[in-house]
Amino acid sequence: MTEYSNNYTTDELLTVLMAREVRNDDVMIVGVATPMVWAAFTLAKVTHAPDAIYHYIMGNTFVNEARQVSLLYLEMNTARAYRFQNSGECTLESLPSDKLTTIEWFRPGQVDQYGNTNNICIGDWNRPKVRLPGCAGIADFSMFYSRGSFLYIPRHDTRTFVPKIDFISGVGFPEGKQSICGGSGPQCVITNLVYLTFDEDSKRMKIGTIHPGKTIEEIKKSTGFELLEPKDLRKTLPPTEEEINVLRNKVDPLGIRKLEVLTGKEREVLLNEIIEKELEMENRFPKLIS
Amino acid sequence: MRTSKLMSLEDAISTYVQDGDLVGFGGLSFWRKSISGCREIIRQNKKNLTICTFVGGMEIDMLVGGGCVSEVRSCFVGMEMFGMAPHYRNAVESGSIKISEETEASIALGLKASYLKVPFMPLKGIIGTDIPKVRNDIKQFEDPLGSGTELIALPKIDLDVAILHVPYADEFGNGNIAGAVWMDDDMAKTAKKTIITCEKLVELEDIIHSPGKAQLPMQTTSAVVKVPFGAHPTSTYPLYTFDALHIQSYLKTNFEEYKKKYILNKNNAQYLEEVGGAQSILNILL
Repeated sequence: MTEYSNNYTTDELLTVLMAREVRNDDVMIVGVATPMVWAAFTLAKVTHAPDAIYHYIMGNTFVNEARQVSLLYLEMNTARAYRFQNSGECTLESLPSDKLTTIEWFRPGQVDQYGNTNNICIGDWNRPKVRLPGCAGIADFSMFYSRGSFLYIPRHDTRTFVPKIDFISGVGFPEGKQSICGGSGPQCVITNLVYLTFDEDSKRMKIGTIHPGKTIEEIKKSTGFELLEPKDLRKTLPPTEEEINVLRNKVDPLGIRKLEVLTGKEREVLLNEIIEKELEMENRFPKLIS
Repeated sequence: MRTSKLMSLEDAISTYVQDGDLVGFGGLSFWRKSISGCREIIRQNKKNLTICTFVGGMEIDMLVGGGCVSEVRSCFVGMEMFGMAPHYRNAVESGSIKISEETEASIALGLKASYLKVPFMPLKGIIGTDIPKVRNDIKQFEDPLGSGTELIALPKIDLDVAILHVPYADEFGNGNIAGAVWMDDDMAKTAKKTIITCEKLVELEDIIHSPGKAQLPMQTTSAVVKVPFGAHPTSTYPLYTFDALHIQSYLKTNFEEYKKKYILNKNNAQYLEEVGGAQSILNILL
């Protein structure tokens, strides 16, 4: 019998839920500065999806082996591998996506009810209140992945879930329609409160399952638009003891994924601790895991 | 007899980088950026540069902090897990620099168009985003061959100069990159001038026997500069990783102070002493 854990943190719940979306034949796209995504893919790889392969934008490589998540030595994970793409072809439109199914997680600064996303700016583009780092390749390929795109938002609040986003840099279901670029569109949004999906007909965001201990009122209050509700409200299956054990002890023992969830002082302390521990490592190849 | 292209960093930047140039930087994020080249540009007080890089971070933030930049072309500018790029962010929010809103494809295909000497390359993405609203130079069009497919035309990017950091080069301008190449080879092939900063000078024979050989070919290289740890505080695979401690201190230091301490009147040895000397080097060596 599967034993479910009752002792896990928000980052662990998110990572486990993201890992469960990976299929065994997927190419897992790992972007820049997304340790939670990386941890989720590695967790999937060493549990239910052993044949899934990584595509690292940092190394421009396809990589089969799973290694421990690292902050300082990720290039040792990503560059020492079979390299099949190069240069101008390193952007993902050139992946043979009719043959490969890809999974990529995007973390938007803002999202609307149709899953359109913004990673460009808060406020008017010409004179933004906040300039965000940028959308990288999201604008290029979010709309033509055959398996769709996947969203995660570690802090579910009305600053992120807004009625109208300030800049569309990732296409969801524009005005409730499929994008003309042919992809399947956003598949789910995983947050610290809830697993959201998109309604098949209206393409509006819809509550999938509610995480243990969270309430529908809390979710509604944290969302800047109306969420559709399913007829029977179900609970998210919590992480299993095994998933938590593998994640904590094998995949990411330094807790690098937590940097995506924590803020302020707490985050700074953890960041310093991770750097200190990694600097002490003599062997700077992150540990191979199976 | 082939001519050596070895130069000092000072001569390479003063000869090949002019005020107002469109300057391409190779590497990606915290990886293999010619930060020594950036420091020299700041020392020489170059102005009104447009900086183009695939994924930017330290190099853009420093050059903006140093007042050298009027426009940025990059699909992402940030400091990875260390946060936002502070000087870049301030400059965009206060309107003191311009942004050309880019994506991975707009840069990759822009360089490809330059290489192929065509005015644009087509892309199936971007359609439906707000990017065409803030880019007057890109345009949606229907496939002229009649399939009915809607496409986006992305204009060519003709760099004035590319500044690329590599682990190994020979003095004639052949450069070998051990890890990911990213946009570096397209930049080298299309920029009017290419400056290579390298960790180690080797002979052509060594490059021929290295995987990937000369991804940066000598025909298109203008200058080769030997700068050990020349990407610091970013990485150069397979020699050293990025210097997390220095990046953290950069983010906590006012730029004028930083400039005085690490950039102005500092040669490479003095710089390496200032950033922590042997201990810092041992920290980052792989």
